[in-house]
Amino acid sequence: FACPSAPGGANIAAGAVVCVESEIRGDVTIGPRTVVHPKARIIAEAGPIIIGEGNLIEEQALIINSYPENIMPDTEGVEPKTMTIGINNVFEVGCVSQALKIGDNNVIESKADLGKNVILTSGCIVGACCQVNTCEVIPENTVIYGSNCMRRVQTERPQPQTLQLDFLMKILPNYHHMKKTVKGTSTPVRN
Amino acid sequence: ITIIRDSHAHSCISTWLNAASVCCLENMPSAEAKLKKNRCANCFDCPCCMHTLSTRATNIPAPLPDDPSKTAMKKAYYLACGFCRWTSRDVGMADKSVASGGWQEPDNPHTQRINKLIEYYQQLAQREKLERDRKKLARRRPYMPLAFSEKYGLGTRLQRQRPGAPITSLAGLSLKEGEDQKEINIEPAQALDEVEPLPEDYYTRPINLPEVTSLRQRLLQPDFQPAGASQLHPKHKHLLIKRSLRCRKCEHNLSKPEFNPTSINISSECQVLLTLTNPVESITHVTLVGCEEGDPEDINSTAKVMVPTKELVLAGKDAAADYDELAEPQDFQDDPDVVAFRKSNKIGFFIKVVPQREEDGDVTVSFKIRHDFRNLAAPIRPSEEDDAPTEAIWLTHHVELSLGPLVA
Repeated sequence: FACPSAPGGANIAAGAVVCVESEIRGDVTIGPRTVVHPKARIIAEAGPIIIGEGNLIEEQALIINSYPENIMPDTEGVEPKTMTIGINNVFEVGCVSQALKIGDNNVIESKADLGKNVILTSGCIVGACCQVNTCEVIPENTVIYGSNCMRRVQTERPQPQTLQLDFLMKILPNYHHMKKTVKGTSTPVRN
Repeated sequence: ITIIRDSHAHSCISTWLNAASVCCLENMPSAEAKLKKNRCANCFDCPCCMHTLSTRATNIPAPLPDDPSKTAMKKAYYLACGFCRWTSRDVGMADKSVASGGWQEPDNPHTQRINKLIEYYQQLAQREKLERDRKKLARRRPYMPLAFSEKYGLGTRLQRQRPGAPITSLAGLSLKEGEDQKEINIEPAQALDEVEPLPEDYYTRPINLPEVTSLRQRLLQPDFQPAGASQLHPKHKHLLIKRSLRCRKCEHNLSKPEFNPTSINISSECQVLLTLTNPVESITHVTLVGCEEGDPEDINSTAKVMVPTKELVLAGKDAAADYDELAEPQDFQDDPDVVAFRKSNKIGFFIKVVPQREEDGDVTVSFKIRHDFRNLAAPIRPSEEDDAPTEAIWLTHHVELSLGPLVA
């Protein structure tokens, strides 16, 4: 979405539900039907973040496009890398994702930690408290679970959280204020 | 999680074992558990990560039995693991229409052969035992010539039999052998010369790592030991043992563990056995009184206590009591509900404890103990009266007892 200056540099498409209490910094684009809970943080430091449709980003989740460790923020000549997140992903409570490329239908469970060099394809499930900071492309439908990050492949990909998204999109505006979307109107607060 | 109801002075405790399932909390006696091979009938373990499987339901359209052209939503159940996301559909198990009881473990093709082998070896073991016992008894005979046993009367088993007849114990054995007339024959295992050759690409085919089972996954299913993850079927969950204790004398349950924390009923009353020893050589009379409301010394008690109302009498300490066999035991007419035992200058008595709160800390009770005391030490100044018997004075002490944590 190439969009004229929206407040805070965030381009929030119409139909997305982004709570005011969430922290969105930098050049962030959020697609329609995505729900961002309060206290979620999306920080585009070293480059823009593009988030697709139908994603669910829960409380205290952190999606950050940060500078690599050995590069200072003021260094010149550093190309900003774009972080892309596909559709129907779920970022559960307290997870941290720095992965630059995330496909569709992935589930990143609570307190999981994805490093910069990981690339998630589709249908992957990163289990609770699993730290994945290898430099690899995780094959489709992989489940990472357990304290040793065991892996297995599942035969079906996780279902998109349609019901949950619909429910949240109805209920959240009753209790929170929403950030303004691209069309300039905020989601109306129901009385 | 254990309940302790009574503190018993009886030292004979019988234990019995039950099996219980952790997941569905089903209880069964150990004999029944043995039949079911110590596994729960309802619950399954994930073959991948060994957690408990949960049953999930989905709605699938299915044709109505009356009208095949119309379809209605029917519930289909499948097993799923919440931890590693394994589902029964991964190994090709069809969804069942009932929530529980529809899942079967696959049959072991070798079951028949194994059972036959077990029977055969059991029979063999029995036979060997017979032989051993017969040899033992046969050897004993020469050591006990008939003349000898006659001298000492009809004490021996050998003596009781008619001479020439087989000895009863052996007779019993031979009867058993007579029953087991049918021999179990097994065919020995055949060694084959020709073995199936390995597939040609065995060394060159790339490994599909997610499909290979780990050693642990494989060995948890010793009858199949599948090499591929698509053959990992769920197994029934193991049962756990509950060891319950019961007093043999009074049939009270002492300790009965429960797996479900919400099913605990804390028994409100406990009986505690206390021992009191009399340090002086004269008879002492002891009365116990509960603490009053608002007693300033009663700060730590967490339980109510009911002390015996009758006076307790303790015999004096008598150093020679152990050696004096002819002394008559003093008859104190103890109430068996109050006094558990009496041994020279010691007395064991019961108090009832009612815990007031379900605390993590210790159960503490307080009460007052009142007893008489005679100072038998010679006075410094001889009294003017001649030999007035020393008067008893009554002393009261505050006692606080910590009975340990409430085990619940």
